[in-house]
Amino acid sequence: MYAIEVEKLRKEFKSYSSRSGLAGAFRDLFTRNYKTIRAVDDISFTVKQGEMVGYIGENGAGKSTTIKMLTGILTPTSGRIVVNGMNPHKERERFVQTIGVVFGQRSQLWWDIAVQESFRLLKKVYRVSDHDYKEHMDHVIETLDIGSLLDKPVRKLSLGQRMRCELAAALIHNPPLLFLDEPTIGLDVLVKLKIRQFLKEINEKYNTTILLTTHDMTDIEALCERVIMLDEGKIIYDGSLQRLKQNWGEGKQIQFQFRDVVSKEQLISLIDVTWEEGEDRHSWIAHVRADDMAHVIGKIVSSYELKDIHIREVSTEEVIRNIYEEGIHHG
Amino acid sequence: MFYMSIFFQYMSQYVKTKLQYRTDLFVEFLSDLMFQGVNLIFILVVFGHTQLLNGWTRDEIIFIYGFFLVPFALFASFFNIWDFNERYIVRGEMDRVLTRPVHSLFQIVLERMELESLLGGITGLVIMSYAAAKLHLTFHWYDVILFVLFVLGGTFVYAGIFISLASISFWSDARSSIMPMMYNIGNYGRYPVDIYNRVIRYVLTWVLPFAFVGVYPSAYFLRKTEWYMYSFLTPVMGIVCFTLSVLLWNAGVKRYRGAGN
Repeated sequence: MYAIEVEKLRKEFKSYSSRSGLAGAFRDLFTRNYKTIRAVDDISFTVKQGEMVGYIGENGAGKSTTIKMLTGILTPTSGRIVVNGMNPHKERERFVQTIGVVFGQRSQLWWDIAVQESFRLLKKVYRVSDHDYKEHMDHVIETLDIGSLLDKPVRKLSLGQRMRCELAAALIHNPPLLFLDEPTIGLDVLVKLKIRQFLKEINEKYNTTILLTTHDMTDIEALCERVIMLDEGKIIYDGSLQRLKQNWGEGKQIQFQFRDVVSKEQLISLIDVTWEEGEDRHSWIAHVRADDMAHVIGKIVSSYELKDIHIREVSTEEVIRNIYEEGIHHG
Repeated sequence: MFYMSIFFQYMSQYVKTKLQYRTDLFVEFLSDLMFQGVNLIFILVVFGHTQLLNGWTRDEIIFIYGFFLVPFALFASFFNIWDFNERYIVRGEMDRVLTRPVHSLFQIVLERMELESLLGGITGLVIMSYAAAKLHLTFHWYDVILFVLFVLGGTFVYAGIFISLASISFWSDARSSIMPMMYNIGNYGRYPVDIYNRVIRYVLTWVLPFAFVGVYPSAYFLRKTEWYMYSFLTPVMGIVCFTLSVLLWNAGVKRYRGAGN
């Protein structure tokens, strides 16, 4: 049983480009240059119940558009979507009962009223019984540590406090599927940690499926086994984060700080690996495979006098950046 | 039933919010009351100069105006969605609305309600009673039921037109000045339509049926038998207008493009 099934999903937006200048504006009045932009281009994937999936990509890669189609906000141009066994935009009202949504940049709560009043309205909207609400939400409120915020109006909360309340609000009806669109944007490390901890917990406790978009790779590393990577509306990678890092970030970087000035040619003639210039002329960075590390260090140490050696692993962030710069097939 | 309970939940929340700002509430109430008072005096002064308008007496016109205020007040309290485009489409609030298991239009109506506007309805009733007393009108017991039906009909005509206009935002991103213009046109419905030329009368009856908010239903209470057919059509027009607008809305929601972020 899949929580999300997507097949050849496509979303096109029609937009017109305006001509420049006043004369152009007049011409626009009569004939417009329509352009069809394919925001999501025939993507297919499935997500199993209980999976935590990171949905990543640059700005404008089509992440939000996909999420909006999966949540029933937008109608797809073509393709098939089945989420929780339903077609999101066809049976919208019945469907949204089974999902929770958090948009990091948009509030779900009412600005003027106390948090608990917002919760009460949502409880009514989602038809949650008093018994279920108490049993489930007492736990949520405690874990997210928002008990003391409940009687404050949303506009008086800090961003971190608000975000925790948003998360609680999205879970009032205890949905089996949770969509999080940049839930940790602009939050400090402590709040991020708390939110991650909480997401892990509900995933374990209720087997909640979570689809997460974020620009913060540490979120993905902490939560998701699997990532789906999007570029220009197409899926360019779908698989484990582990494998992505192995293929792309397998190598290590060794930074040597030499006592004397050394030229690139000298180094290459000694060992033929990729050398990159460091901060000054005394320092060079070698890009090597993990297996060759000992060999390279041994050679350099025996030939030159060194001040310092520093070994770095490639971070997920860099892996992602490399992929975007060079394309997926390189690795 | 579910929708009723949601409605009361939102309403109590609305009242609670309003009560939080006590001075605000007090000032608002006072200014609303003054506004209605000035309105009342203004009408009496303006109509004081017109004695007869194409066979309608001064008091009859005042009665129509009073009647018009009642459905208009209901409309203004619940369907005041003139800023829909800006609030929900441009700022993307519609995203949030669409992720909740209640009909989107109903949610927006609940979020935008302004119960203060109901005060205008009271002014309307006062004006009507004044005019009715002067005209020595008599009413049957069932006139009360008809009054309620006609008022609801008028409210739904108004609501239907404005919901349809709001739905246009789903197709066109541009902000339009249609809304204020429509408020103006709406005002024509509170004068006897036979003072206008045939085209305008046709438009106000069948295209933008504002005449069903004021003059047609009032004609029944003024015992103008020649207009009775139109009077009794008021609830029907209300239902038709409203249904069409909801269908248009539903079609529009499918076209919703969302706001980028």
